[in-house]
Amino acid sequence: MELDENWGFLSNAVHKAIRALEEKDITHAEAFYTSTQTTEVAIRNSEILTQNKVDDSGVGFRVVIADNKVGFACTNTLSEKSILETGEKALAIAKVSSEIPNFSLPEARQPPKVKGLFDLRIADTTVDEAIDIAKRVINASENFDNRVIAKDGRVLFQSGWRGITNTLGVDSEERETKAIVYLGGAGKQNDEVTGSCYDFMFTRKADLDPKNVGENVGKMVTEMFKPQPLKSFQGPVIFGPEAVSYQLVDVLVDALKGETVMTGRSAWTKKLGQMVASENLTITDNATLENGFSSRSFDDEGFSSQTATLVEKGKLKSFLHNATSAKALTTENTGNASRFAGGFEMVHMIVGSGYRTKPEIYPSNLTIEPGNKRKEELVSEIGKGVLIESMAGFSQASSGLISAQLSRAFFIQNGEMKYPIKGGMVSGVAFDWFKQISIIGKDSKQFQNAVVPSLRIENVKLVGT
Amino acid sequence: MKTCTVKNGIVEEFSDISLSGVGVRAFVDNKSWGFSSTNMLGFESVKQSLENSIKLAKTSSHLKTQELKLEPVRERVADVATFVKKPIGDFSAEDIVDIPLEAHKGAKEAGPQVADMKATYISIEDEKYFLSSEGTRIHQNTTRVLLFINVIAKSNGLLCPASENLGHAGGLELFDRTSPYSLGKSVAESAAKLLKTKAPPSGKFHVIIHPTLCATLLHEAIGHPLEADLAMTGGGFGDRIGELVSSKFITIYDDGHVEGGLGYFPYDDEGVECKRTVLIENGILKSFMHDRTSAALSNVSPTGNAHAWDYSAEPLIRQTNIGIKGGNYSLEEMIEDVEEGLLLEGTFGGQADVNADFTFGFQKAKWIRKGRIAEELRGANVAGNAIEVFKTIDAVGKETILRPGACGKFQFAVQGRVVPAIRCKILVGGTGD
Repeated sequence: MELDENWGFLSNAVHKAIRALEEKDITHAEAFYTSTQTTEVAIRNSEILTQNKVDDSGVGFRVVIADNKVGFACTNTLSEKSILETGEKALAIAKVSSEIPNFSLPEARQPPKVKGLFDLRIADTTVDEAIDIAKRVINASENFDNRVIAKDGRVLFQSGWRGITNTLGVDSEERETKAIVYLGGAGKQNDEVTGSCYDFMFTRKADLDPKNVGENVGKMVTEMFKPQPLKSFQGPVIFGPEAVSYQLVDVLVDALKGETVMTGRSAWTKKLGQMVASENLTITDNATLENGFSSRSFDDEGFSSQTATLVEKGKLKSFLHNATSAKALTTENTGNASRFAGGFEMVHMIVGSGYRTKPEIYPSNLTIEPGNKRKEELVSEIGKGVLIESMAGFSQASSGLISAQLSRAFFIQNGEMKYPIKGGMVSGVAFDWFKQISIIGKDSKQFQNAVVPSLRIENVKLVGT
Repeated sequence: MKTCTVKNGIVEEFSDISLSGVGVRAFVDNKSWGFSSTNMLGFESVKQSLENSIKLAKTSSHLKTQELKLEPVRERVADVATFVKKPIGDFSAEDIVDIPLEAHKGAKEAGPQVADMKATYISIEDEKYFLSSEGTRIHQNTTRVLLFINVIAKSNGLLCPASENLGHAGGLELFDRTSPYSLGKSVAESAAKLLKTKAPPSGKFHVIIHPTLCATLLHEAIGHPLEADLAMTGGGFGDRIGELVSSKFITIYDDGHVEGGLGYFPYDDEGVECKRTVLIENGILKSFMHDRTSAALSNVSPTGNAHAWDYSAEPLIRQTNIGIKGGNYSLEEMIEDVEEGLLLEGTFGGQADVNADFTFGFQKAKWIRKGRIAEELRGANVAGNAIEVFKTIDAVGKETILRPGACGKFQFAVQGRVVPAIRCKILVGGTGD
């Protein structure tokens, strides 16, 4: 209730500020505003560590003046005066900025109806319910096997509003809910402590399944005991969804972003229509996916959502665009302006996300089309190889270099998983790997900005200790 | 906070970010914490947050098995501020925009192979009040300035990135010693030079870790496992106080009072003074970094390591300025003793697990053959287990440098690192031969 009242006030004040800016010597103005209530419970060492409730709302203005000079300012001080002043600050900053060629804001277009973005049951969740879920995820993991410790985890419920308006007629507001349960566990047996294993569930609905997440962690942990070192070799590797979603998706996203193509630094610049991956790889960005964690009916500069085919049977079909990159490359906007871009960009981490930043280009739900083989089938077809469920270390996104530590990986021999691997690295260039994908699994999993299955990739270099 | 990003010579973003709010933490029944925050500063909203935090703390109190005997924090009234020689307020918006623009000019000097260049200036002026029911009233004003430079050089489809950061607690005097122009130039030259080099090899090598990379090794490999909340989950350094856990050449400390360090904090966010804590002394584990809760659980005093990124986040155990005490070797002497190995420089960031497994990236390397520097190589990642790798350290450099750092453990933090070069054995994951 409180949330809706605040929202009404914020929306009203933001529209007033945009009208005030229209009276000034500007080309365009835009305001992005959000209001959220978050309830979170943290788990540490088998116990509930703490619980918190965070209310946050604010607005970020982009003001464009002659010669495409742009300024940005934001505030979370919710008075009409402070919101008006913030709009004016953005204007003042625009004056000392330089021209951004092809700068563009989207025009109004009717957004599609996207199902499953809001669930009243999440909005009404109490902290007692969140604590109950936290207890259930701990118990499910530790009851699975008495060597398992629920090390760290989170249960999060968020309810909020997201709005955007600009002087070109864009004026959209959307209500949304999010829920996350996440658990990291490790195993302890005599002197041996395993590395961490994680499982999680990202959803829009009140359908969190702590039992399943906890049991998965329990199962993963028990598989990690008595690891053995690996000898260096080159051969087939199955990358599980978690490994794909992190390092491999990072490389994909960097190559697919319209802005890296504009500067020519994307490895896939000038490759539209060419084969960039093996024939079995099809990638889409699907912002209208029902219940998709990053689905939305309009992007973070107000352009209506859609599904874009990026790679079709190995052939590069489109990049990810916002209004500016689409204009610069004279192509269609794909609605990928995001103020919640993932990754480890230091500047983002300092400044924060949402109303605190101008939009970047980022996928909504980057989807790799699943194949039809189960993980067990993929394993059974390998004579000698490795299954990498998760790996640690940043990819060098621009060059595609991945040189990662094997954190949850298993040696496969004669179609069977033999033992977990201790130490060791995997090393290669992801752009080569995409061409070496031989089989795609059916085990797609939803991550924050991706829905991806296992990939079997041939001829991958493994570095032993 | 002000940020200004120049991409390829264009002021792509210039932002003015002003945020304020209140975070309230309540401790109830000697067991349980609750936290609530709001950006609405009216009396009623703040009171509501306080009530929320108490209610939240009570909700899980009955589930807590352990009573926490928090060591009282001595009542303290303080008003402290970072030493600032050139205040940000004395500079116009045009002056600020010039900082990343100058860096871009410098980068252009490196030639046409510079395909992409981004420079970001950030200044953070943070005014923070800490009040507690124990009587503590602390007012801290901190000013921080940072400059990030990222360059990608390109030739014949090969892309080589390089980056470097400057940052300190203080004002715009940050650029008195290193100008944005010269920094932009050196990063771009470094990236362009890498285009002519080969990929590094893979396997276990005798390596010298340059201070620019040692900062990441220290933070990830040994810093994280020494944070009490991570250590208490078992594995890593767990319950090994008093034991030899590293090479005897190694002494490690954490010190919030390092002047100019990006992790300069007189007090932490529980009102505890951030003093120097010796963590490892001559290889022997002496202490972990604690907040009040972990200190109570371990029967020791808190060490001033509870830090929250902003009002909307609960304090968490974080490093401030972590350091390795300088040793006896010059870099030349460290190189002389290596028959075949690598000198690894510049960081690409990394990660660590609670069992002390770590990985991090280096930007460039040089072969060392028969005690001499040989050809240069590109970057890759290294990996290992901190406890195993730190036992292999056989030399520590004389000179230490202060580096800016950052960490994303659950929430963001800015930190400093005081580091020499070290020599050890480590697994390198290069794609070359």
